[in-house]
Amino acid sequence: MISLLTVLIPLTWAFLIPLIHIFRKTWLKRAILLFGIAVFFVTISAAISGWKQSALSFLGGWPAELGIVLIVDKLSAAFLFLSAIGGGAAFLASYGRLKEGPWRYYVIFFLLQASMNGVLITGDIFNLYVFYEVFSLAAYLLVAFTISWQAIEAGLKYLVLGTIGAFFILLGIAYIFMATGSLNMAVLSLVLPHIPNEALTVIAASLLIGLFIKIGAFPVHFWLPDAHSSAQTAVSALLSGVVVKVSIYTLLRLSLLLFLETKPAVFTVITVVGTLSVLGGHLMALRQEDIKRLLAYSTVAQIGYVLIGVGTGMAAGISAAFFHAINHMFMKVGLFIAAGHIAEDMKTRNIYDLRGLYHHRRWFVIVFSLLTAAIVGIHPLGGFMSKWYLMLAATKAGNVIPALALAFGTVISAFYYMRVLSFFYSSGDPPPRQTYPYWNLAIAGACALCCVFLGIVPLVPSLWKLVSDIGLNAVDTAEYISTMLSK
Amino acid sequence: MTIITLSHGTAIILFCIGLYTIISKRNLFKTVIGLSLMESSVLLLIVAAGFVQGGRPPILPIEGIAVNPLPHAFTLTAIVIGASDLALALAFVIKLHQRYKTVDLDKIRGLRG
Repeated sequence: MISLLTVLIPLTWAFLIPLIHIFRKTWLKRAILLFGIAVFFVTISAAISGWKQSALSFLGGWPAELGIVLIVDKLSAAFLFLSAIGGGAAFLASYGRLKEGPWRYYVIFFLLQASMNGVLITGDIFNLYVFYEVFSLAAYLLVAFTISWQAIEAGLKYLVLGTIGAFFILLGIAYIFMATGSLNMAVLSLVLPHIPNEALTVIAASLLIGLFIKIGAFPVHFWLPDAHSSAQTAVSALLSGVVVKVSIYTLLRLSLLLFLETKPAVFTVITVVGTLSVLGGHLMALRQEDIKRLLAYSTVAQIGYVLIGVGTGMAAGISAAFFHAINHMFMKVGLFIAAGHIAEDMKTRNIYDLRGLYHHRRWFVIVFSLLTAAIVGIHPLGGFMSKWYLMLAATKAGNVIPALALAFGTVISAFYYMRVLSFFYSSGDPPPRQTYPYWNLAIAGACALCCVFLGIVPLVPSLWKLVSDIGLNAVDTAEYISTMLSK
Repeated sequence: MTIITLSHGTAIILFCIGLYTIISKRNLFKTVIGLSLMESSVLLLIVAAGFVQGGRPPILPIEGIAVNPLPHAFTLTAIVIGASDLALALAFVIKLHQRYKTVDLDKIRGLRG
């Protein structure tokens, strides 16, 4: 029941906000804050409800073979948790910056939250496509929301590539339906091994091409830096922190359920693409002078890290991939909010013009440095721990070259983040004006503290067990199938 | 089964034409047309999946065999999604045209790298 509410409540809010705007304009300010908090708590409680034991909800009372099932198992719960925190942070950042002014923005925002939660909990592959497209549409609109020419151009680029990806996914789903006549993921997991191998190859290829475009993996990444850097600060944080992770969840869920035993080559492809993303993303980031584009290219590389973890196809690798995903969520949300604020305050995004920032924006630069240290992977922080476990898992799975690429990519990232910091700490001219951004500073600081905390997680056995359970549960497809088909 | 083979073939050819249009043409309207072609081709494939030889429309009371109505429901949903994608794409193209006075992609290159 609560799993259905994670979709319904944000959808209701998206519907109610225009009504409140028309009839009770004075309520809008409080209502939006209340709505944001409510969505956060509903998503968290859905995650908790599915943690101990998978929570199922049969829509309309139909069994899984006939109807749509919403299922929250450990993997979904973990990503719901990630979406709640990342979405909450982005909501607070946009609320602090915009207040209730652009009510249309919040309509799209809640639509995005609803459909992201829908992707995370659905057990039906066509339903997944529908939620996926609603969330992509909301993301295109959020990117273009400022209607500046960069935003429109980035939005159009994102839309064209995202739609091509969506049609490839739909093509894969159409082939699945033609081959099996079923769309429930648990049923598909049982019947897909019996279809001809060639058909399975075509299905896997269509789904993988579509998902790689949507994720923004290296060879098809070119929409990502534009979209993530042209959007508003809070939207950039949301896109890099959460939206990309939801796409990774889709890849993880589909590849594990449909192709783990029938087509191991899928995982090789994911590993290769992940390795390319790590190297390509870092090398492109090295050339950037625009601070938000630099962060966006860094996202491409970090997606590569997560894909290397997914590509191991083992419990340890998937746990490490999730751990890196949640680490990256905190780091990138913090970095984008800090960088976006700096860029707005200084009226420039070029890192050469941000000289001497330390002397004028001391706390911002300190928080930024801490987050940078985390994303590069300095020892006690979260970024180090997740990369360490990713390397361990990749080497254990026999993927030595990806593990080496991971280490090499870290060196490159250290180089370009150091360059940014060296400009911040050098001496320079005082900035044009000073605003007091306590709100943004608080969110970025909280993200930095979470990175420090996540560095402790692997050292405490009871906390690390929570993370390692996610991987064990994710590869245990038999349990997923039996729970889903229990009715 | 020839009609089914034919529609599958048509769908795949249409999909490739749509993809080729998006990749090769520099006119933004042609890009949107390419997207529309890709959408139609996938929908054709899904509708063809519901075909049953000698089947009747799936309306009660059914005499004999009916075609599978499930793909039709999918197609309707997918049409709505595709229509909203295309509408948004056209809205973006119009906004870009207002600024640049052209829809040629080579002249609209603000974002690079």
